[in-house]
Amino acid sequence: MQLSNFLGAASAFALAFGFATNNAVAAGAPAGTVINNTADVSYTVGTVTTTASSNLVTVTVVEMINVNVTAQTPNFTVSPGDTAQVSNYRIDNTGNGPETFRLVLDNAITSDQFDPVAATPAIYLDSGTSGTVGAFDSSDIVYVPGGNDPVLAPDAFAIVFVVNDIPGTALDGQLGVSRLTADSRTGTGPAGTTFAGQGEGINGAVDAVIGVSTGTDSADTTYLIAGVTVTANKTQAVLDTWSGSRPVPGARINYTIAVNATGTGTATNVVFTDNIPANTTYVPGSLALDSVAVTDAVDLPDDGDYAPASGPTPARVRVPLGSLNTAAGTRTITFSVVIN
Amino acid sequence: MIKGKSFFGLVAIAAASLGSPAFAQDKDPGCIVLKSVAEVEQTVVNAKGEKTTKLVPASTAVPGVEVIWTVTANNICKVPSEKVTINNAVPEHMTYVASSAMGPGSDITYSLDGKTFGTAEQLTVKVDGAQRQARADEYRHIRWVFKNSLQPGAQAFARFRAVLN
Repeated sequence: MQLSNFLGAASAFALAFGFATNNAVAAGAPAGTVINNTADVSYTVGTVTTTASSNLVTVTVVEMINVNVTAQTPNFTVSPGDTAQVSNYRIDNTGNGPETFRLVLDNAITSDQFDPVAATPAIYLDSGTSGTVGAFDSSDIVYVPGGNDPVLAPDAFAIVFVVNDIPGTALDGQLGVSRLTADSRTGTGPAGTTFAGQGEGINGAVDAVIGVSTGTDSADTTYLIAGVTVTANKTQAVLDTWSGSRPVPGARINYTIAVNATGTGTATNVVFTDNIPANTTYVPGSLALDSVAVTDAVDLPDDGDYAPASGPTPARVRVPLGSLNTAAGTRTITFSVVIN
Repeated sequence: MIKGKSFFGLVAIAAASLGSPAFAQDKDPGCIVLKSVAEVEQTVVNAKGEKTTKLVPASTAVPGVEVIWTVTANNICKVPSEKVTINNAVPEHMTYVASSAMGPGSDITYSLDGKTFGTAEQLTVKVDGAQRQARADEYRHIRWVFKNSLQPGAQAFARFRAVLN
C-alpha cells in the first residue's frame, strides 16, 4: 500500500472584495467647503413687525488627513520555496481632501519566524482599467516610490499588489509577516498636527490637519508554512465459507482503508494504490470509495481501477483521491480478495 | 436734530460693517441688531496644570469638530421690542447636537423643512409609510421665541451646537 501526494499550497485565495462592499467611512465635508450661516430675527414694535438678518458667518472646512490600509488576503498558507505569492491590499483615503500616499514594504517584522522575500519588483498598482480590475495581472503597473505614488480623492481607494517569495528554509508551522504601509505625502504625526496651507481644498489651499490615523496606516499579510500528513489505516475482516472467520482457502477478506490528512495544509493529487496480497485473488467489482462502487476498468467518472498482475508487477487497485485536508475528513476505500 | 442725524449715521455704519446687503439697503435699520458668531471649545491648561475650556472664534474647522453658534439680539431703540423670534438654520454639512439649543427666556422649537416647527415631541418623520419621532440629528432649523419683550439696551441670547460632518 502506498500513498503519493504533493504538498500543495492553498493558493486559490478568494478575491472577496469589490466596489459593492466599499464600507469606507464617508470623508465628510470636502476640504475647502465654505459653510455659511446667517440668523434671522423678527420682532414687533407697536404694530409694526420687522425682520432682520445677522452678519454672515463663514467657516472653511480644512483638510483632514486620514488613511486606511487593509490586507484583503491577510492569511496565506504556503509551502517552503513558493515563489510569486501575491497579496492584495486596499488603500482608502478616509480624509476629506485629495492626498498622495507613499507605499513602503517591510518584511523584516520581528514577531514572526521567517522573513518573506520581496520579489523584484515587489509592489504593483492595479491598472484599474485594463486586465482584471482588482486582480493581479500583467496589465498592472510597477510601483515607483515618488514616481507614481497613488493620488486618491476623498473616499477613493487604490488596490495594491505585493509579491513575495517564500524562503526554502522555512519550516512547517512557521509564520512570516509582510507589512505594507501607506504614508501621506503631506505629512504624518500625532492627531491634530497642522500643516499650514498644505491642504488641498476645493477652492484652493487650506490648512491640513492630521486625523486619528496619524497620516499613516499599515496592514499585514501573514504567510503560514502549511504542513500536511496523509495517513492510511487498513483493517481486514475474514469471512470463510461457513460464515466463520477462518483464513482458509476460499475465505473472503474484506479490506477497509481509512485515509485522512492531518495538519494545516492541503495535500493535492493524492492517489491510493494497494497491491493485491500474494496467494489471493481480487474479487471483481468489489472496489469502492466511500461506499460508492469504483469500476475495475480505467474509465471515468470514478478514475480508479484494478490492474491484474503483469510480469513482476503484482495485481493492484488504485483510487485517486484528489485534494485532502483536515476539513475534507476521512475517505474510506474498500475492496475484497479471496484466498486461493 | 444734529443728535438724531448722528444716531442714524452710526447705525448705518454698523449695518454696513455687518455685511448684510438687505440690512444695508434698509433705510430704517430697525431696533434689533442681530449678531452671529462661530466658536469652538479650546482646552487650556493654566499655571496650576488645571484644564479649562474656553470658546475661541472659528473661521476654519475640521470634520468631526463641534461648532458653537451664538446669536445675540440687541435692542438699540428706546422702546421695547415684542415677539422677538430668532431663526437659525443648521448650516449645510453640519449636524445639530441633541439638546444643545439654549436661550434664556425662550421657547425653542425645531423644524425639518423650515416650515413646520415643533417641540422634539411634536416633530415626526414618515419613513416607509410609518410615522416616527424625528431625531435631533434630523433637525435643520431652530427657532427661539422669547416670551418677554426685549427692553431698550437689552440683549437676547440664543445658542446651539452642530458637528461638522
